[in-house]
Amino acid sequence: MALLYGLLWRFLLLLVHVNRALVSWLRVRLRSWKGRLWERAVAALLLPLALAGFPDQQKKLNRNPDANANPVTGKRTANRRSRWLSDGRSLEKLPVHIGLLVAEEELSYTDIANLVVWCMAVGISYVSVYDHHGIFRKNNSRMLEEIVRQQQDLLGVEGSKCNVEFLTNGTDEHQRHVVSCRPTVKVLSPEDGKQSIVQAAQQICRSVENKERSSQDISVSMLDILLRESKNIPDPELVVKFGPVDSTLGFLPWHIRLTEFISLPSHRNVSYEDLLGALQQYGTCQQRLGQ
Amino acid sequence: MSWIREGELNLLEKISANILKAGPMPKHVAFIMDGNRRFALKNNIERQEGHMQGFNKLAETLRWCKHLNIQEVTVYAFSIENFKRTKDEVDGLMELAKQKFERLLDERENLEKHGVCIRVLGDLNMLPLDLQRIIAKAVVTTKAHNKCFLNVCFAYTSRYEITNAVREMAWGVEQGLIKASDVSEALLSQCLYSNNSPNPDLLIRTSGEVRLSDFLLWQTSHSCIVFQSVLWPEYSFWNLCEAILQYQLNYKSIQKARDLHREHQALLQLEADRACVAEYLQHHGNGKPADAQRRQEALLHYTTCREERIQDFLDALKHKRDSFFDDLESEAVVA
Repeated sequence: MALLYGLLWRFLLLLVHVNRALVSWLRVRLRSWKGRLWERAVAALLLPLALAGFPDQQKKLNRNPDANANPVTGKRTANRRSRWLSDGRSLEKLPVHIGLLVAEEELSYTDIANLVVWCMAVGISYVSVYDHHGIFRKNNSRMLEEIVRQQQDLLGVEGSKCNVEFLTNGTDEHQRHVVSCRPTVKVLSPEDGKQSIVQAAQQICRSVENKERSSQDISVSMLDILLRESKNIPDPELVVKFGPVDSTLGFLPWHIRLTEFISLPSHRNVSYEDLLGALQQYGTCQQRLGQ
Repeated sequence: MSWIREGELNLLEKISANILKAGPMPKHVAFIMDGNRRFALKNNIERQEGHMQGFNKLAETLRWCKHLNIQEVTVYAFSIENFKRTKDEVDGLMELAKQKFERLLDERENLEKHGVCIRVLGDLNMLPLDLQRIIAKAVVTTKAHNKCFLNVCFAYTSRYEITNAVREMAWGVEQGLIKASDVSEALLSQCLYSNNSPNPDLLIRTSGEVRLSDFLLWQTSHSCIVFQSVLWPEYSFWNLCEAILQYQLNYKSIQKARDLHREHQALLQLEADRACVAEYLQHHGNGKPADAQRRQEALLHYTTCREERIQDFLDALKHKRDSFFDDLESEAVVA
């Protein structure tokens, strides 16, 4: 009997896997179908303006590093940028701080960099990137380089003026690039999670040891201030999780008290529409704060 | 309505339960039972009635869990933030809690038969005194039971719990039981209200909200989190099965992440111990550089001492917490 149940269980699991694969395949198909339809519509509209093939080209340009060499594409990046900005404005609400949680084994720097740039383009001020192996953190500089590159790619030369402040935790070293609208990118690893709470606790206990403080003074807001590390970054209102694992995997336990979690199947080859979909979903969420 | 539901599963449920049990099962499941008020609104009934049905659903869920070999359940009954609701509703919820805990005491024998241990996690001081006493009585009465465990988070938020753990450690430092350098992730976990439980394997939130709302933030950092859109009073056996299936799909990757985290933690502890030993040797080494063997011995000695220190502190903390409940309970007897 146990054997039969075991077999049935395996069969059930297989079924779920097949179901998942089918759904994600359909999603991709549906999107490309919709995309093609959209492209055709735009093409039909723009043909009289002698700009045939524009939508197709635009798609290719996404991955084209020489995009800015060409003045026409420069205009296009500007177009795209204003579209993204207006997308951001049209949302009911936009998070001030977004977390990108990658719960996949294979990481793609380019796709994450794209996501970061899109987040900034729609008007999000703080973007945190996390993976539970701490690989992004270990390769912090590669990550940041990639972001700058994608930013130039996607937003054009002008776009890169609107620049980024990178925070590297622990070392207190700020790599500042030109400043104007100043979105902030932070690369996080598991050490910023529980370990930072432990460090704050240790710091408090040290001051108690030295009789500078009593255990009675310790409060939630005191710990909160310590964990904010003097920078006034708000807690993330939204975490977009990529990958099949349904877990926070150690992402900033203290800070995700009221964070909305939205899952996307993978960060590889993720499209702007996927991100926008997640943001729209977030826009419709209501928070009651215990009431 | 009672806390303990007798009754077997029907045939179809039993078969499905057996199929699920062929895979890895969660040992500890946590619930955010959300949607009572929306359920009341939807069905045009009083809000209090919605909460009542929510409680009945909890009793039913506990029965399912028992049949699914889930020994431990943690539920979010009342958040510190919930004190912000209207006075009427808060009073209603306190009254409901009082009734239910009184009912629980009436069912003492049944609880003993099933070996149900009830724990209440949260800051009881925030509650009305009569409720505190009844809760303490329920907790003390069922303390020795060890077959299944129900943790009720009442006047609870996770940030408050973590802060309280830090406060307890600071108390330990004040009392001279531990040093500030002994503070570690493992110790902090031991100082939480949930120190007697393993971390939940599965966290379920109903009613379609996709956030944790300050619930078990520390304990669920490597748990499978499942958001379901059904309202809590409408929760069914099949919803629970669906969540467990999702846990089973996630099992391998989450286990891997847990192992990775555990290894990392052990490494950090070793590094911390080494740093402390190095400091000690510098102060007491008469300027001579210590050789490898001496360093190794010192490290071993230090680790043993630290572990003893921490054990003494945890014993003291346990004593403090137990006597809080015992005192409340004996007051209740006198009253």
